[in-house]
Amino acid sequence: MFRSLRVKQQLVKIVPDSPSISAEQLSRDAAIPITLRQINSLPENAKRRIYRPLLPASLLVQFGIDPITWKGPDGDQHIRLKALPEKNSISIAARMASDDPEDILFLELADNAMNGIDLNLLVINDPESPRFCTDQDEQGQPTLFGTARRNQGEEESAMQAGLAPAQTRASLHASRLVFEHLETFLAILGHRAYFLEPLTYASAWVFEQRGFAYVRGHKLMDDIHAEFQPGGRLHGALDGSTPFRQPEQWRTVRGRAWAIQDGILEAIGARWDGLRMVKQIGRHARVETFPQAQY
Amino acid sequence: MNQKHQITRAAEYQSLATLRDFIEATCKGYPGVDDQVLYDLKLAVDEACTNIITHGYAGMNPGSIILAIDLSPQQVTMTITDFGQAFEPSETPMPNVEAGLEDRDTGGFGLFFIYQTMDEVDYECTEDGNHLTLIKRL
Repeated sequence: MFRSLRVKQQLVKIVPDSPSISAEQLSRDAAIPITLRQINSLPENAKRRIYRPLLPASLLVQFGIDPITWKGPDGDQHIRLKALPEKNSISIAARMASDDPEDILFLELADNAMNGIDLNLLVINDPESPRFCTDQDEQGQPTLFGTARRNQGEEESAMQAGLAPAQTRASLHASRLVFEHLETFLAILGHRAYFLEPLTYASAWVFEQRGFAYVRGHKLMDDIHAEFQPGGRLHGALDGSTPFRQPEQWRTVRGRAWAIQDGILEAIGARWDGLRMVKQIGRHARVETFPQAQY
Repeated sequence: MNQKHQITRAAEYQSLATLRDFIEATCKGYPGVDDQVLYDLKLAVDEACTNIITHGYAGMNPGSIILAIDLSPQQVTMTITDFGQAFEPSETPMPNVEAGLEDRDTGGFGLFFIYQTMDEVDYECTEDGNHLTLIKRL
């Protein structure tokens, strides 16, 4: 092995630290990425033009939202873009009605310390599917996707309805389309990759299907798969002691995800924590930590 | 027509055998790839990945190693991508292979082996990972 190789301690930023972007900067080397912070400094309509491709037009039209004006059949704005000057993040959300309390689609991106892009949150809800209040506990406190608190009654109902942890409704099954748009958008900005931290085992598995690799946690995913096999410690911990630890749950992605949400990783001295995934633009990593999985 | 193959595995020592098997399965029998070339390819990848596992992903739950192989009539190109901490290979001192056994360091031969067995070695650290490209001419 390279016993003497040095690990780089100093992160190297390649994007100029200017707070805004000019036509002159745009005309320079197109391989140098543009940051979200730079875009956020532009006038409102310029930002809107640039961020518009993040939302798949076909998805908006499906819900009666004009993909250019972002207005619905009622003439109201149905898209909310938050891209404040001097901020290094943006969020964009689509709603069925302007006064609807819940988004159909919510996406939040941020510049990271290395001039890369983090996908902080992506929610894609089917507004016509039943809603489960897994996002609030019995006292009405936010559960933060089940990471801070839990509403076990609602979680059990959601699980029986076929949802994965952290979901309040069924998905629109549009993540592939959204990721394609996101990649095109990031390629325009000159980015080669983007990163995320999967909230649940089920979402990590979905991201694998979409072509992500692991910055951290690939071995954990392998260990989870091995330990869920018959004879493994996680398999043994599916002892029926809670509704989320039923013996057959090792067979499916969702079953494992609910058991993990219930804290079953304690059986192997691990936690669902610290995983980070990366998607290389235009490339599929072909990671499969649960071969021939049934969702 | 080039043949392209890819495998992704967790950066752990257990994966090394899988990566060697992958090289064997994809390269053996390709015109120009004899037993010596095959041995060199496996040795170089083994050394490079051992380094990634030991140093690049040190102190964390390891991420992925992606091994891509591009076979052409002229050469075998292997690209190893990881997302751990980057290295600075240009600063790596070569081991003193002339020294007597008692004076020789016990490590440091990985890079030496790679340079000895490969015709081109290139390392690049970019936004989408650390890429080590190893080329063996046929």
